[in-house]
Amino acid sequence: MSAKGASLKGLLLVVLLVSHMLLTKEGVTSLPICPNGSVNCQLSLEELFDRAVKLSHYIHFLSSEMFNEFDERYAQGRGFIAKAVNSCHTASLTTPEDKEQAQQIHHEDLLNLILGVLRSWNDPLVHLASEVQRIKEAPETILWKAVEIEEQNKRLLEGMEKIVGRVHSGEVENDIYTPWDGLPSLQLADEDSRLFAFYNLLHCLRRDSHKIDNYLKVLKCRLIHDNNC
Amino acid sequence: DLLQWPQISKCRSPEMETFSCYWTAGNFYNLTVPRILQLLYKKSNEEDWKECPDYITSGQNSCYFNASYTSVWTPYCVQLASKNEVYDKKCFSVDEIVLPDPPVHLNWTLLNTSQTGIHGDIQVRWDPPPTADVRKGWITLEYELQYKEVNETKWKELKPRLSTMVPLYSLKTARDYEIRIRSRQRTSEKFGEFSEILYVSFSQIGIGCDHCTEEVEFPWFLVVVFGVCGLAVTVISIMLSKQPRLKMLIFPPVPVPKIKGIDPDLLKKGKLDEVNSILACHDSYKTQLYNDDLWVEFIELDIEDPDEKNRASDTDRLLSEDHLKSHSCLGAKDDDSGRASCCEPDIPETDFSASDTCDATSDSDQFKKATEKEEDLLCLDRQDNDESLPSLANTEPQRQHRNTQSENSHLWAPFGDSDESPRPSVHTQISNQNSLTSTDFYAQVSDITPAGRVVLSPGQKSKLGRAQHEGCTEQNFNMDNTYFCEADVKKCIAVTSHEENEPHVQEQSYNEDGYFTTESLTTTVANLRASTAAPPSSEMPVADYTSIHIVHSPQGLVLNATALPVPDKEFNVSCGYVSTDQLNKIMP
Repeated sequence: MSAKGASLKGLLLVVLLVSHMLLTKEGVTSLPICPNGSVNCQLSLEELFDRAVKLSHYIHFLSSEMFNEFDERYAQGRGFIAKAVNSCHTASLTTPEDKEQAQQIHHEDLLNLILGVLRSWNDPLVHLASEVQRIKEAPETILWKAVEIEEQNKRLLEGMEKIVGRVHSGEVENDIYTPWDGLPSLQLADEDSRLFAFYNLLHCLRRDSHKIDNYLKVLKCRLIHDNNC
Repeated sequence: DLLQWPQISKCRSPEMETFSCYWTAGNFYNLTVPRILQLLYKKSNEEDWKECPDYITSGQNSCYFNASYTSVWTPYCVQLASKNEVYDKKCFSVDEIVLPDPPVHLNWTLLNTSQTGIHGDIQVRWDPPPTADVRKGWITLEYELQYKEVNETKWKELKPRLSTMVPLYSLKTARDYEIRIRSRQRTSEKFGEFSEILYVSFSQIGIGCDHCTEEVEFPWFLVVVFGVCGLAVTVISIMLSKQPRLKMLIFPPVPVPKIKGIDPDLLKKGKLDEVNSILACHDSYKTQLYNDDLWVEFIELDIEDPDEKNRASDTDRLLSEDHLKSHSCLGAKDDDSGRASCCEPDIPETDFSASDTCDATSDSDQFKKATEKEEDLLCLDRQDNDESLPSLANTEPQRQHRNTQSENSHLWAPFGDSDESPRPSVHTQISNQNSLTSTDFYAQVSDITPAGRVVLSPGQKSKLGRAQHEGCTEQNFNMDNTYFCEADVKKCIAVTSHEENEPHVQEQSYNEDGYFTTESLTTTVANLRASTAAPPSSEMPVADYTSIHIVHSPQGLVLNATALPVPDKEFNVSCGYVSTDQLNKIMP
């Protein structure tokens, strides 16, 4: 039995190493954790931002790849692009649309907006992860990415809440949020319509993740590096 | 020529703040009245198509949207049209069409050179494209550097990286190099245009080594070839080598399922009846024969000696006489001692045909009832034995010889036909003798020496405790025999220890565990001889137990013979072992 246990341990170690290598490749390395590891531990704001930027970049990278794969696999020849998109459910949130606006908005407002967008995506991501499995012959990579994005989004949300807690001088506004009602469209019986709904959702996800990534980088350069990244 | 319609070739944003669309006019103009092409655009949340605000800035056949017209994450649609006709349409959002400008201000510096001066390391530096606002974090770029020697055709690529400097190692100082860099937005796939080419020439800074000899490149091919050959030779030599240990170390044998007591060769040679009998023994008889006797419990000989397995099969054939079914102590003892001994082929004495001994269960039961004593099964009743012993050990060479002869016939069938009539009585006597002397027929194997010899632990102390004193003195302790039983020695030791109180003998005698080493036994035997004043014998027994070497069926057993000559008199087949020489005497 000891040999069996040893071989199991060895297998587990190999799996952990490989997964760590894969994660490292994607850019999600583990930053140094608090030395005390307890309540008293305080990461600096720079470290929090570093982690947040890494996470947001990773999420955007996954969304981008997922969209490309979906596009390649299901959208060719269906003219989805021509139908041109895109009323994303987060469109109601007024976010900066160019550099000027991003420069001018106050960082607390921008942080709140980021939080709002992240929260609004919580629900859709959960359903995306579950509904994408019902797509006929969905590739394993798409399934895996959906689950991963949902998880990382939660982590980013936690990190952002920490940052907001640090940065905010006054009360924290929690009311920026858009509900998502796209679940029925993901469960349509007609395959074409259903796939188009997925296409839309993935397109919106890619865009919003890019937005958040950008905003966080702007904030980081502004707050941490004083506009001199 | 084919008619080519006007089409939008691409739309591009270099910095995510503005964007431009380019189109081709096609050869349309040559055929019909020249029409004016327009580019119309529409944001997704608008209804009307608007015309391009700037046809000039980006060149001919282009449309430039400045920052005020650009919303980054808003979907746009543009279409190329003339008055009534739409020739092409494209929809996109600005963040998807980002293709940065090339980096600028490329330069290089020398890091160091090798000792021979043939190779050098350089550091290449550049600046991000001026249009991209990297400092405020609006856009994040990564760069890919490519370089090659001047007269080569293929560019070598480095991995895309975020930093604006990169070292290049081990460039040949005798050659000139070209370097170019391009950039892309970090999460995009497409790169922008290449920068201007940077020329690297070591001779310009005075360290060129034009006359240096070319370094011999590492002979990879030869190394690989010789390595493979060497490995193949090593593997083949290991496989062919006779060294079993080395072979086992590198090519460990795959364990095959093994049933104790069954030689796979049996199956191969087709001796299925023997295999069946052995299997039958394993299954059905073991529990029946289990009793409280300690002898039974411990009889588990696990010697995986293939010779001994062969012995089982051969001696089965040897001992296929029906008379063995009678209530001999030996037979009963065989039944007693669990099926393990019955089916363990490595005890030579128990080599009755397995079916016979198995069938003799009922015999053993009857015998049990007859004697009403457990110990009688093993014929450990010293009274009887000792009475019989003197008779056997007396100076009746003939009888004993005959007994031994018949006993030999016991073991080797071809010889036994002459003693039909006196067999029963002889049988019991022999069995008694056998039982006494071969209480070590079945013994707990306490250890196996590295040389392959079996060391049996001393028998039950209680039973030995009943050993008669006279058994030691009267017993014709035949020193001339190369083999003698440990139990015999033990009894004598027990006797002598009482008599002599020799400490070292005593401690040896009650050594329940482990070895009776040759030295200890020989010393005790020597002591015995000294104490009992037996006729001195020049010969000292060397070995206490010897493993069986070969079974020459049907002639008998060949033991690892020691070189002692066997005297030409009756020999006491104690413990059932026979040396080669003795065997030779017996064989015709």
